[in-house]
Amino acid sequence: MVVPNLKEEEEEEEEKEKEEKEEESQGQETSNAWWQKLHIVNEYLWDPEKRMSLARTGQSWSLILVIYFFFYASLAAVITLCMYTLFLTITPYMPTFTERVKPPGVMIRPFAHSLNFNFNVSEPDTWQHYVISLNGFLQGYNDSLQEEMNVDCPPGQYFIQDGDEDEDKKACQFKRSFLKNCSGLEDPTFGYSTGQPCILLKMNRIVGFRPELGDPVKVSCKVQGKPTAEAERAVCSLTRWDEGRLGYRGDENDIRSINYYPESASFDLRYYPYYGKLTHVNYTSPLVAMHFTDVVKNQAVPVQCQLKGKGIINDVINDRFVGRVIFTLNIET
Amino acid sequence: MSQKTEIYSVELSGRNDVEKTDRGDDKGKHKGLRKNRWELRKDQQKEELKKELDLDDHKLSSEELEMKYGTNITMGLSSARAAELLARNGPNALTPPKETPEIVKFLKQMVGGFSILLWIGAVLCWIAYGIQYSSNKASSLDNVYLGSVLALVVILTGIFAYYQEARSTNIMASFHKMIPQQALVIRDSEKKTIPAEQLVVGDIVEIKGGDQIPADIRLLSAQGCKVDNSSLTGESEPQPRSCEFTHENPLETKNISFFSTTCLEGTATGMVINTGDRTVIGQIASLASRVTNVKTPIAIEIQHFVHIVAGVAVSIGVLFFIIAVSMKYQVLDSIIFLIGIIVANVPEGLLATVTVALSLTAKRMAKKNCLVKNLEAVETLGSTSIICSDKTGTLTQNRMTVAHLWFDNQVFVADTSEAHSNQAFDQSSATWASLSKIITLCNRAEFRPGQESVPVMKKVVVGDASESALLKFSEVILGDVMEVRERNRKVAEIPFNSTNKFQLSIHETDDPDDKRFLLVMKGAPERVLEKCSTIMVHGQEQPLDQSTAKAFHTAYMELGGLGERVLGFCHLYLPADEFPETYLFDTDAMNFPTSNFCFVGLLSMIDPPRSTVPDAVTKCRSAGIKVIMVTGDHPITAKAIAKSVGIISANSETVEDIAKRLNIAVEQVNQRDAKAAVVTGMELKDMSPAQLDELLTNYSEIVFARTSPQQKLIIVEGCQRQDAIVAVTGDGVNDSPALKKADIGIAMGITGSDAAKNAADMVLLDDNFASIVTGVEEGRLIFDNLKKTIAYTLTKNIAELCPFLIYIIAGLPLPIGTITILFIDLGTDIIPSVALAYEKAESDIMNRKPRHKKKDRLVNLPLAVYSYLHIGLMQALGAFLVYFTVYAQEGFQPSALINLRVEWEKDYVNDLEDSYGQEWTSYQRKYLEWTGYTAFFVGIMIQQLADLIIRKTRRNSIFQQGLFRNKVIWVGIASQIIIALILSYGLGSVTALNFTTLRAQYWFVAAPHAVLIWVYDEARKLFIRLYPGGWWDKNMYY
Repeated sequence: MVVPNLKEEEEEEEEKEKEEKEEESQGQETSNAWWQKLHIVNEYLWDPEKRMSLARTGQSWSLILVIYFFFYASLAAVITLCMYTLFLTITPYMPTFTERVKPPGVMIRPFAHSLNFNFNVSEPDTWQHYVISLNGFLQGYNDSLQEEMNVDCPPGQYFIQDGDEDEDKKACQFKRSFLKNCSGLEDPTFGYSTGQPCILLKMNRIVGFRPELGDPVKVSCKVQGKPTAEAERAVCSLTRWDEGRLGYRGDENDIRSINYYPESASFDLRYYPYYGKLTHVNYTSPLVAMHFTDVVKNQAVPVQCQLKGKGIINDVINDRFVGRVIFTLNIET
Repeated sequence: MSQKTEIYSVELSGRNDVEKTDRGDDKGKHKGLRKNRWELRKDQQKEELKKELDLDDHKLSSEELEMKYGTNITMGLSSARAAELLARNGPNALTPPKETPEIVKFLKQMVGGFSILLWIGAVLCWIAYGIQYSSNKASSLDNVYLGSVLALVVILTGIFAYYQEARSTNIMASFHKMIPQQALVIRDSEKKTIPAEQLVVGDIVEIKGGDQIPADIRLLSAQGCKVDNSSLTGESEPQPRSCEFTHENPLETKNISFFSTTCLEGTATGMVINTGDRTVIGQIASLASRVTNVKTPIAIEIQHFVHIVAGVAVSIGVLFFIIAVSMKYQVLDSIIFLIGIIVANVPEGLLATVTVALSLTAKRMAKKNCLVKNLEAVETLGSTSIICSDKTGTLTQNRMTVAHLWFDNQVFVADTSEAHSNQAFDQSSATWASLSKIITLCNRAEFRPGQESVPVMKKVVVGDASESALLKFSEVILGDVMEVRERNRKVAEIPFNSTNKFQLSIHETDDPDDKRFLLVMKGAPERVLEKCSTIMVHGQEQPLDQSTAKAFHTAYMELGGLGERVLGFCHLYLPADEFPETYLFDTDAMNFPTSNFCFVGLLSMIDPPRSTVPDAVTKCRSAGIKVIMVTGDHPITAKAIAKSVGIISANSETVEDIAKRLNIAVEQVNQRDAKAAVVTGMELKDMSPAQLDELLTNYSEIVFARTSPQQKLIIVEGCQRQDAIVAVTGDGVNDSPALKKADIGIAMGITGSDAAKNAADMVLLDDNFASIVTGVEEGRLIFDNLKKTIAYTLTKNIAELCPFLIYIIAGLPLPIGTITILFIDLGTDIIPSVALAYEKAESDIMNRKPRHKKKDRLVNLPLAVYSYLHIGLMQALGAFLVYFTVYAQEGFQPSALINLRVEWEKDYVNDLEDSYGQEWTSYQRKYLEWTGYTAFFVGIMIQQLADLIIRKTRRNSIFQQGLFRNKVIWVGIASQIIIALILSYGLGSVTALNFTTLRAQYWFVAAPHAVLIWVYDEARKLFIRLYPGGWWDKNMYY
């Protein structure tokens, strides 16, 4: 094996391994030749005569390490400079672009990895985790906490706070009690024990997002009927984990009534705009609770909840969480 | 076999008989042949060999032969017996070399070193998918796509390479001549013409001048028969054949002539003693087919490269596997990572690029009449350090030509170039007038009618080689020879024969007032001089005295020493009173004077070197390539030709030369003083391999003469033992084993035999030795440029690999996806890397030494290190900068990205918070991720532009090389940008491709890094130029 008087750290070892392999592949060597090879490799790793390891003397190694240290140090300096420049161009208060996160997505609570709500009314074990999840989620909405941290701002209008962008912003109260029957205050089981489950709907936060024309965004749920042609196409691009649910074809009459809390079934304008988590520390996302008071039992009912309003898009084919959310209720008695 | 083209074949037909000078050498040659053959095949073919050695048919009398083969010399075999023998022994044809089935050839293209790498990559991808699928039915199909693309690349490249080679093979096939050979045979007491294939042992055949010998034949009777053995032994001289047993050795005796050699003149009858593969030529041919082809240097280099890539891939893979496991990743996930890393190291586009680059060069070479049969052989000539060249037909024109004249006590040089156009010697002397008359008249050769439009030198001549040389010589100088002969009607003639060694004819003169007859004679100079009493000087007859005789001898020795065949010319005007017009000349009774002639001059002939050869040899020399002559011809001729083409340079001497100059014994000469050596086959036979090695290392100028095909093989092997890459040029069947054994065999396209062309890797379509120089140049250039291409391709590999490593370790959302990587490797980068193949040489590549097989690798450590750890890393950083910029501006600051991977990839998390508290659905994240891919892609692409430019040179500054000299580079750059624009803006909406429409400003984020790469590389090159041989040069020059 010819050992080139060259450089390098870990590569060197690879080089050697591979040359070894090469020689192996030449084949037809006797065991004697093998020993010789092993000897050569050994000498390559540490040559006691010339005091060299991997074809380099200690001096050579230190030189190469110093050179590489400086090379990488300068590279690090360059990348640091670049990153520094990058941070100069962006503010921590306001994202430079928000077009990727718009229009807002929708999520529901309780949520445990699945959008299928299967439970048996008479078996608390099947729904207890929904209750715990909701309770946990609503801790931040406790009336006392909200009253302590946030201000009670006038409804029906944007809560615009002028001033420097690094100034702390105040947040509007959204009290748990707004949710009435779904607040868990009167009915600690959120209706699950009676087969009338509450589901909370939350719109994704987007910095600076304001529902257009002063119309608050409304929520409306209904049984997901026969899918439109468009929705049919959407099946192809569905993420696979929720594919199964599309099999259900609901009947409109499967849900006979839904109560919304707050009753307006909308997100009040006073919760907008959002100023970002750095200054808008105590901001609590407004919620809309859906109380499914009369749903067909013992059968899976596909429900689609959509946001409605100007500037809201709820029919993106690829993204089934923009402006809408689809889930199934299967309440057994 | 060894079918020459029409033009050459008849030019060859017929040469005067000149006794061989050194019988001893002959013996040695054939003993060598026999011995080596024994050694070479003792394992496999003892039986067959014995049979050959037992050949004693030449010793047998006719009766014994009849007995042995159960035939009758006058009646021949019976048809029934012949049919029986034919059925038993098979047809009298050489078994064609085993045709590799097309499908095997095709499949072979797909299992080369590189392809194997891609296949392994593809299989690993599918395994990875299998693992993913078994744990999660919904896993991404990326791995399947990647595997399929890898397989597709191999298959498409294979098809391309197969197509390329098939095309050369087709050109080759057009050379085959399918003229079925006929033989005149006596069977059932009748003469019949049958296809030569049907000849069987014991057949009595008749041959005549111009025929190819149809099998190995024991001659029973012969009249003035001469054969051309050049395709078998390399002797340009015609060999006389008779029915006498003259030598113990069957190969040496005159009464056997061999299959595929040509009968030049005379007639003969003989008995077939061997047919088909059992003939001598058949055995050489099968020897060639048993020699295994060695791997081409480029194949070895690519294998070496694959080992480096595989080594790097496996090392990084295993390293990160360990890291991943210790980071508490699941083992199954870690295995997927391992496979991912290994596959990411595979340069998908390189196989295609290298193949295209090689075929571009092959095409360029084909344009210059170098047909490359095997694509990989394109580069081999560039690495060649020794060329072993055959003499006859390769270095020489393989036809006798007048080289020198001597008259008026002066030597004149004749033009021996292919066209003969420039005969510059003094033609004013009256002696020349007489000499030219003798040359014209004392000559039996004639042009074949019906070729008025053909240039003189290309006309087909009926007659002996020397006579045709003289005929053409006089035709060029004097004009219409036939007309001259007509005016000087021939009245009597004694043709040449080997006992009297002269040719004589008597003519009427063209001067109507002169009633004398003119007697002209030519022949062996000493015999001619014997018959002369006067000599012509400046047109005046002078008595032949001691001093003129001495001058004659000096000239004769001088010309003979040049390896040339010398003929003497004399004439005599017969007195009109003794020989009136009606006188009847009787050539048997010799009723005319046969002495006291007037000596006119000498003329010498040689098979001259091709005019382009000396220049080509000089160029090879300056390119550090050793040119060795290996010939079957005699040492004197070989040495003379070697000297005239520069294989032995003007001022170098052999040991024998020094001994002669200093007048001491050969043994006393210091071996070190001699630069050149002439070694005969006999000497070679007695050498041990160690001695041969010593010979090859100690002498820079070597001529091997009187070598057998097996010895040629031994010489090639000896050169290869010196770690040299050996090119062998040749045209004859006897060259074919060596052609095959060589790293690159080069056959002559016009004069070359089919056997030679089959064994060769490259064919010179115009037989021009100078094309080899072109080949060397192109080969070296492509080697350099492949280095650049590979360096270019490897660089971005790191930039593509780093994201995955960071993804595993720091948990960033994946910066660049598999499909996107494929679009770089097989999209934007393909044309630029091919464009590098068009790069001009940085310095005079023909003035440097050939690369050392084991030291100057295609991909060496500095190349890998510089590409991976310097430029590659800089690229990765630049691309990451674009990636971070996109994410930060969209809401995810770098610090937020760390360890975000798990949450990020959960499809059911549709409210993932970013640095600003905004919440993202999974599809929104996915889309952002694709934007990240596109950004990373653009980052790499922009920096690859810089990489492309810096790879134009390895040592020189780009500005020395010229930014715009290679236009194809700019096509490459344009293609890169256009493809990237199309992908981002045109196909940005096609979700399956994972590209998005990128904001315009992101295209420029990596630009400063691109500039930095350029500047850094210029600095590197500057230091290399400033301190050649220094530490920096050693470590940074690839």
